[in-house]
Amino acid sequence: MGLPLFSASDDPGPSFVRFAELSGLVDEPSGAGADTRHATTVIAVRYVGGVVMVGDRQATSSYIASRDVRKIEAADRFTALAISGSAARGLEFIRMAQLSFEHYEKMTDTSLSLEGKANYLSPIIQRNNLSTPLMVIPLLAGWDPSHRDGRIFEYDGAGGCYERRDFATIGSGSPFAESALRLGFRTDLDREAALELGALAIYEAGDNDPSTGGPDFVRNLYPMIVTLDENGFTEMAADEVAARFVAINQRRTESQGVAGGSLR
Amino acid sequence: MSNYFYVSPEQLIKDRAEFAQKGIARGRSIVAAIYDVGVLMVAENPSASLNKISEIYDRIAFAGVGKYNEFDRLREAGIRWADGTGFTYSREDVDARALANYYAQHIGDMFTEGQKPLEVEVLVAQLGTAIRPTKLFRIAYEGTISDEPRYAVLGGDAEAIKSRFGASESDLEPLDVTLRNAVAALANADRTIEVPDLEVCVLEDNGGRRTFTRLTDERVAALLGT
Repeated sequence: MGLPLFSASDDPGPSFVRFAELSGLVDEPSGAGADTRHATTVIAVRYVGGVVMVGDRQATSSYIASRDVRKIEAADRFTALAISGSAARGLEFIRMAQLSFEHYEKMTDTSLSLEGKANYLSPIIQRNNLSTPLMVIPLLAGWDPSHRDGRIFEYDGAGGCYERRDFATIGSGSPFAESALRLGFRTDLDREAALELGALAIYEAGDNDPSTGGPDFVRNLYPMIVTLDENGFTEMAADEVAARFVAINQRRTESQGVAGGSLR
Repeated sequence: MSNYFYVSPEQLIKDRAEFAQKGIARGRSIVAAIYDVGVLMVAENPSASLNKISEIYDRIAFAGVGKYNEFDRLREAGIRWADGTGFTYSREDVDARALANYYAQHIGDMFTEGQKPLEVEVLVAQLGTAIRPTKLFRIAYEGTISDEPRYAVLGGDAEAIKSRFGASESDLEPLDVTLRNAVAALANADRTIEVPDLEVCVLEDNGGRRTFTRLTDERVAALLGT
């Protein structure tokens, strides 16, 4: 690639996606592979002072293709992006989003607002999902430094962006994760309670949805837990995540697999 | 019918060079220097928002003197080139030398073929890794690229500043010493530059992927000990 100079009228501005299209770095997606990998269930829950995100680690095609996929990534210091749907397109989407936010920041010397980031993703999702069967549904959550609040943005398949004031789920395990969240969510959740509820929601999804990977005690692989608060994006250490899922599993074992109506 | 007068190539180049030099000499200068653990860039710049120094990539920074609109366009092209290259290949394949060469080609082309030469001088700085050295590439208005060993000065008053700075530094010093020397070299004996009129940026490893930091006035004042 040579030096990408543009005249003032064709200049793509600080948008990396626009630049990538103008200079032919990306092609319009088309067609579908018969055997593509799908990534599933991620949840986000708001609490007082931030957002918790929990995601399973499994990618599924006609069999389990991978047990240690990272479906939640830091899009920048205060923002996390999670994906469900086509793993290939989803991981590309995360890369594009990370690069776009950083590109904007370098070009303009200011960061995009959280709402700006959420809106920026809409047309990318729309174009992907309406032009290929390789659907991607992302979930964006972050700490908004200007509103001093944790915020969650979910998307529909056509790229519509909706802010959620409580919680959001994506992926095939959503019905089960969402049920747990609906029963357990309160507006005054603290960080600890949100972590517990989020982990339980993914445990439920892994228990009932064949494409969602629950805690894997054999391989010592556990879902991913991240928090977003005024300190930014923090991924929970592996042993702390393991301890939480071991505890949930212990309770379930004692009650012989029955939740027992008490969100155990 | 119009008449065309013969102008010798020597005269043409000389006129163009003089034109570019004059434009560059109107602005303030920049000192870039390698210090013990990073790269320092100091510009005299009274504007807090029209920056002369900018981040290009994880370990690459840009600095420009001369006409703001001209070097800012080069800065933007550099960021696009770096992000595009890193997206196509990998982040570690983005190399300052390649970017400096593209700048040199473009600035050189504009000097000989453009309507008018670009009235700019730019610097591409790279913080080294295990596989790449720390580098300062200076590209002059006519497209000459030079690989400066320890420090580089851009701008109209470059030679005087260079000799002042060169006299003060013998070895790689810590950041505060290097900054004090650079500011003293920019200022000279009979004037001082106030902290708000300085734009100071560094490339230094801090545990993360990105190494570029724009230092706040408080930090600059603390380092200068004023």
